Amino acid sequence: MLDYMQFVLAPQMLNGFAFGIAIVLMALGLTIIFGLLDVINMSHGEFFAIGAYAGVVLLASGVNFWVAVALVPLLMLPVGVLTERLLVRQVFDSADRHTLTLLLTLGLSMIFYDGLKMVFGPNPLRPDNPIPGGIEVAGVFLPAYRMFLIFLGAAIIAAVWAIIYKTSLGAMIRAAAFDRNMASSLGVPVSAVYSATFAFGTALAGLAGILLAPIFSVFPTMGHEFIVIAFTVVIVGGMGSIKGAVLAGLLLTQVQAIASLIISPVWTDPILFGIMVLVLMFRPQGLFGRLGHG
Amino acid sequence: MLEIRDLHSHYGFSHVLQGVNLTLRPGECVGLFGRNGVGKTTTMRAIAGWIKQISGSITYNGQEIGGLASNAICRLGIGFVPEDRRIFPGLTVEENLKLGLMQTAGRSGAQEAAALERAYDLFPRLKQRYRQMGTTLSGGEQQMLAIARVLVGDQKLLLIDEPTEGLAPQIVDEIFAIMRKLKSEGHAILLVEQNVKRALDITDRICAMERGRIILEGDGNSQADRDALMKAIAV
Repeated sequence: MLDYMQFVLAPQMLNGFAFGIAIVLMALGLTIIFGLLDVINMSHGEFFAIGAYAGVVLLASGVNFWVAVALVPLLMLPVGVLTERLLVRQVFDSADRHTLTLLLTLGLSMIFYDGLKMVFGPNPLRPDNPIPGGIEVAGVFLPAYRMFLIFLGAAIIAAVWAIIYKTSLGAMIRAAAFDRNMASSLGVPVSAVYSATFAFGTALAGLAGILLAPIFSVFPTMGHEFIVIAFTVVIVGGMGSIKGAVLAGLLLTQVQAIASLIISPVWTDPILFGIMVLVLMFRPQGLFGRLGHG
Repeated sequence: MLEIRDLHSHYGFSHVLQGVNLTLRPGECVGLFGRNGVGKTTTMRAIAGWIKQISGSITYNGQEIGGLASNAICRLGIGFVPEDRRIFPGLTVEENLKLGLMQTAGRSGAQEAAALERAYDLFPRLKQRYRQMGTTLSGGEQQMLAIARVLVGDQKLLLIDEPTEGLAPQIVDEIFAIMRKLKSEGHAILLVEQNVKRALDITDRICAMERGRIILEGDGNSQADRDALMKAIAV
């Protein structure tokens, strides 16, 4: 039993935790963009993939991994700003905002997906693990990079929470998320806040992309695969809820990690979707309330 | 100060404002009265920049503001206290107030702190509740916060839409006392209010609206004009 805990369950839960933290980073961007702009961003998965590929390119041109981790989110900022200004904003004020932005970002994701395939080819690329090895605690082997990912991710999640709930910028975001007319009438530059938030969400997706690259490798369909889980997390946690994204992200990835020890891993996705269906049936608004809505 | 000329607006197929003409001078309180749906709130929203489908002209101190973004309009010194208060439920009382500081650019931290302090002096109840979320306030407290939030911006013209709707009589008294004080301090006020009799205590000029137009304008202190107003809006 102890062996099972040490060699099977604990490492599996740790893997799930590292994966969960990365999913939360992705889901946070998705949920903040939805909470503020009311836009379901279907290209979020591709922003994640672009972040990973940007990391691959930087590493291949000799940039140190840690520098690349800092650079990728910065490079993603203009991608987010341009997407919001040139595309999302064009249809934002139409009565069909939900459908139009959904189709628009879905189309964009297809273009990005094919673009990545054309440029980098269909085969997976895998950056070297920047911190190989690990440490052993109470007989459990802790891979160093995954531990790093957990700590860095947790720090970023805490920073995002602090920005949204403890700064005046965050108050502007929450106010504009609830009532953009009123926020604007009080002097909040709503249009700039929209762009900045969209870019911020995009940067978080890109960051998740490069951080996960050494573990899961980099391939053109990676966006598709991860976005489905990120969407599940956002729906279960509550569309537009930061607390919901964090809790549902960590919980669902643990469910997936533990379930894959008992049943075939290919059946873990249906379990997650089953949870999502149950949440939609009994609590369609998700576990927690939307950003800025009290 | 504020000049509205031949203002029209459309909501889909309905022609809500059909040529509104209205003038507001510095320090003056103008009451805009009429039945529901005649375009009072739409007029307020058009001035505040919430409605973009407008034609005609709205000038403030000589500058055309029709079509400007709401955040640009508030920077000129126009504060909007809309119907339903529009308090941000996910922000604390203090965060709601601090957001109001953004209406005026270029003030020092000390000036902003003084503006907050003035608002708390005017509404001590808000100070007691400064860490509470907006959503936990009573209707009267929300109205006080909505007014205070605009005042911290040091606005010269206040657009106040239905401030006493749904409030207890004692709170209504408080709100009118505050508006009288603001007027005496030199604020110009454009007031939409269903409680016409109470509103007449503070209005210098009165306007009656009907079907998207101002059909009557008069002196708020003249009994004849007051009677004509009552007849025009049939209350």
